[in-house]
Amino acid sequence: MKEYDIAVIGGGPGGYTAAIRASQLGLKATVIEKAELGGTCLNWGCIPTKSLLHAADVLRAVQTADELGIKTGKVNFDLSKMVQGSRQAAGRLNQGVGHLMKKYKIDVLQGEAEIKERGLVSVNGVELFADNIIVATGARARTLEGLVPDGNVVWHANDAMTPKKMPDRLLIIGAGAIGVEFASFYNTLGAKVTLVEVLEEILPNEDAEIAAAARASFERLGIKVLTGAQISQVSVGKKLKCQINAESFEFDNVISSVGVMGNIEGIGLENLGVETDRGFVSVNSQQQTNVAGVYAIGDVAGAPCLAHKASHEGVIAVETIAGLAPHALQVQRIPACTYSHPQVASIGLNEAACADRDVRIGRFPLLANGKAVAIGETDGMIKTIFDRNTGELLGAHMVGAGVSEMIQGYAVAMQMETTEVELMNTVFPHPTISESMQESVLDAWNRTLNY
Amino acid sequence: MPREIYLVKVGMTMTEGMVSEWFIADGAEVKKGEMLYALETEKVNLDVDAEADGTVKHLVEAGVTLEPGDVVGYIFAQGESIPDVLPGATSQPEVVVSAEPVAVESAAPMAVEAVVSEGFVKASPAAKRLAKELDVNYLTLQGTGPGGRIVEADVQSAASGQTASQQPAVAAIQSQSSANIKASPLAKRIAEQRAIDLSQVRGTGPGGRIVQSDVENLGASIAQASGPVAGDMVPVKGMRKTIAQRMHQSLQDSAQLTMDMAAVMEDAVKLREQLIREWDGAARPTFTDLVIKAAAKALQKHPLMNSQFGGTGIQLLNEIHVGIAVALPEGLVVPVVRHADQLSLKEIAIESARLATSARNGTLGLDDYAGGTFTISALGMFGVDSFTPIINQPQSGILGVNRILDGVAWEGETPVRQKQMNLSLTWDHRVLDGAPAAEFLQTVVEYLSEPYRLLV
Repeated sequence: MKEYDIAVIGGGPGGYTAAIRASQLGLKATVIEKAELGGTCLNWGCIPTKSLLHAADVLRAVQTADELGIKTGKVNFDLSKMVQGSRQAAGRLNQGVGHLMKKYKIDVLQGEAEIKERGLVSVNGVELFADNIIVATGARARTLEGLVPDGNVVWHANDAMTPKKMPDRLLIIGAGAIGVEFASFYNTLGAKVTLVEVLEEILPNEDAEIAAAARASFERLGIKVLTGAQISQVSVGKKLKCQINAESFEFDNVISSVGVMGNIEGIGLENLGVETDRGFVSVNSQQQTNVAGVYAIGDVAGAPCLAHKASHEGVIAVETIAGLAPHALQVQRIPACTYSHPQVASIGLNEAACADRDVRIGRFPLLANGKAVAIGETDGMIKTIFDRNTGELLGAHMVGAGVSEMIQGYAVAMQMETTEVELMNTVFPHPTISESMQESVLDAWNRTLNY
Repeated sequence: MPREIYLVKVGMTMTEGMVSEWFIADGAEVKKGEMLYALETEKVNLDVDAEADGTVKHLVEAGVTLEPGDVVGYIFAQGESIPDVLPGATSQPEVVVSAEPVAVESAAPMAVEAVVSEGFVKASPAAKRLAKELDVNYLTLQGTGPGGRIVEADVQSAASGQTASQQPAVAAIQSQSSANIKASPLAKRIAEQRAIDLSQVRGTGPGGRIVQSDVENLGASIAQASGPVAGDMVPVKGMRKTIAQRMHQSLQDSAQLTMDMAAVMEDAVKLREQLIREWDGAARPTFTDLVIKAAAKALQKHPLMNSQFGGTGIQLLNEIHVGIAVALPEGLVVPVVRHADQLSLKEIAIESARLATSARNGTLGLDDYAGGTFTISALGMFGVDSFTPIINQPQSGILGVNRILDGVAWEGETPVRQKQMNLSLTWDHRVLDGAPAAEFLQTVVEYLSEPYRLLV
C-alpha cells in the first residue's frame, strides 16, 4: 500500500496548492482528482469565463472604436472560436498544473476518493495510507426545483461557457458574481438578457451603493435587471416560460446561478463522523475538522467560495500539519472581484456592515480621473471606509474599468495595517486610474484634490 | 571651608551605594556623632554619623545611586557663609543630574545605558556633522524626522535657538526606543490612543511585528499565549542586584551539581530537646546549628570541600567559617559563623542566634559577613524536602537543610516510623568528583545520625 504524509482529495486551486506547499516542506503528498487538475476554477470557472469576458471586452472596444477614429466596418464574431479560445486557455493551465505536480514529485491519482477510516483512503478501490487527509472537493452550483439543467434550454454553467449558438433571449436567475458575469458576456454579444435577483439589489455581497452604480451601468448597456423578483409558473419546453413578478416571459435559455453547495457527499466523511454545517465541512482557523488528521479547505469548507481563499487555506492546512505556525487568514482581508463590464471589486466591510461604527467614508468618481477620461472609462467610483478614531481601513469598494487589478493595493494596505496617513502619503503614479484610490482616501477626510 | 559628607565605603567590594534616608534635614543643624544619613549598599544598611558640628546641606537626594567616596553633602561650621550653589555641584555633573529618580528608574536599564552610547540616538549623518560644527549636543535634541530621527534642521534650529526643544537626554531617548519597535501604523496609533506601551506588547505578525490584534486583545491574548501581562516594574538594585549578579555568575562560572542524602534524625531530635532543657534559655540550638556543627566537623575530614577553585589550582583553606543564609524581606544575607569547627555546639547556637537577630535588625557588622568557606542554607521550615542551592562563590560547596519528616525504616519485615531529614549538597565538580563529595555528605549524615559525636 502506498503511504503518504498528506492525501489531498481534489485538485483545484486549494488542493494543488496544498500539495505544492507540502512538497516544499518535504512532505510526501498525493492529489486525488476525479475530473481535471485545476478543478472548477481553472477548467469551468474563473479561467474560461475570463477568456470569454475578455473576448466580449474586445468586441465592445471594436464596436466603439469609431469614437477613437478607428474605422472597422461591420464587426462580426465567431462564437465557436471564442469558446475554443477559452477552452485552450483552460487546457494550457490544466497542463501547467500537471507539470507543477511532476516538478514537485506529487503523485496525481485519477479517480474518486473515499475515506474508509482514519488514514485510509480508497481511490477507485485501490487503498492508500495517509497520515493526514485534506478534503478539497470544492462546491457545485445549486439547482432550483423545476430547473434541472438539460443542456438544451436549462443551462448548467458549463453549458453557458460552451454555447453552440447565441440565445436571443436569456434569463439569468441569481445576480451574484457568476450571474452578473454571464449577463455581461451575453449582453455584449447581443442577447436580450434578463437578470433576476430575489433580493433587493444585484451583487448582494457588495456595498449597496457600489451595486446600485454597477446596476445603473448594466442597465445603460441594455441588461434588463429585475430585483426583489419572484419567479413562478416555470415551464420548460422548447422555450422557457415563466412569470416574474406576475409578468409573463419567454426565454430561449436560462442559467441559474443561485449559489453553490459543498461537495461533501460520497467521500466518506460520514465514515469518520466529520462534522458538517449546512452543506459545508466545519473547520477551525487551522482548517482542522473535528476529526484529528482530517482537514478541509476551499469551497467545501464554506464561504466565501473563492479560489484565492482556497489556496491560502491549503497553505495553512499544510503548514499546520508540518508543525509550523501558519498565518491567520482574515476573512475581512479577502478581496472579491466580478469581471463584468464595468468590473466590481471589493475588500473588507461594506457601509451597511459598518452601521454601528463611527466611520469616515470617502468617495471618488472615475469621472474626475484624468486617465479614465482619456480612455473613455469614466463609468465607476471608488469608495473607502475608515474607522473614524483609529484610521483603520475597514473596507474598499470599487466599480469601474480594470478595478479587479487595483483592489490588491487596498489588500496590501490592510494586511500591512496602514492608516489613512500612509495611504495619503504614498505617491501614486499619474496618470492612472489608481490615483482615484488615493483621492477616495483623501475624500474621507474632506481633502480630495481633484473633485 | 565646609566639611564634605562622603558616601562611606564599607568593605572592599562596595562599588555603589546610596543615601537611603537623610536623618538631618537640608539646612538643619547637626552635632558631631549624631546620626546623619542611612547608607544602603548591595550588602548592608548602615547609619552614618556626623563628623562635625554645623549646618547640613544636602547635595544629593535620598535614593540616588552613587559610588563610594562621592560627596553627598556638606557641613558648614557656625558662621561660615553658605553659598547658593554648593561646591561640587558642577564638578560631577553626571552624578548631580537632577533628573528625578523616578525617570532614571523607569527608563532603566536601556535609557541609562543609552546616555553612555551615542550610537543609539537616531540622527542623520548630516545632522551629526552639523552638530559638531556648530558645537550642539545633538544627543539632547528631539528629532523631527521619521521615527524621531534627528535631522539637519533640528540641529540648525537648536543652534540658532529658534526652538527651545531641548529636552533631557533621557526623555528624548525614551521616545526613540518606542519608535524603534516594529509595529504596524494602525497598531501604533491604537497604542497611542489607549496609552499602551508598545514595548510591553508582544507582536504576532511576521518577524514579531506588532499588529492591530496584538494591541486590541492586549490582556486577553497575552494571557493565553503571548506571555504574561506586565505589571509593575520592580527595580533591581541594592541587595536584589547583588543576589542576581552573584547567583547568575556562580552558575556560569562553576560546574555545580546537587545530590540528596537522608539522615536519620531520631537521636538528633531527642538530643536537641534535651539540650534546650539543659541549657535553659542560655542557648537554644536549632537543627541548623546541629548541621553547622556536623558540617564543620566533616569539613575537617574532607578538606577539598573547604576550598576555593582558582586559576592556578584548588586553594585549600585552613580555617572553617560556615555561612548561614538568612532570608530577609529585602533579600538574602549570609552572615558567617567563624571558626565553626572550633566552637562547641552551644557556642554555635549562641553565635548563629546572634547573627540571625542582627541580620533581621539590620545591625550586622562588616566582619559578620566576611570570610565564609562553606555555606548552609535551610528551607526546612517551608516544608522543603530537596532543592539545589547555588554555591556562594568562591566557595566549593553549599549544604541545603530540608524538613524533618516521618520516614519509614525497616526492622526486618516491619516498617517503622523514623524521623529523617534530607540534606541537599551542591558542590563544584571542578574541585571534587561525585564520590568524594558523597563521602563528605555521608560524614555529615553520620554525625547527625549519631549526634552525641557533635558534643565531643
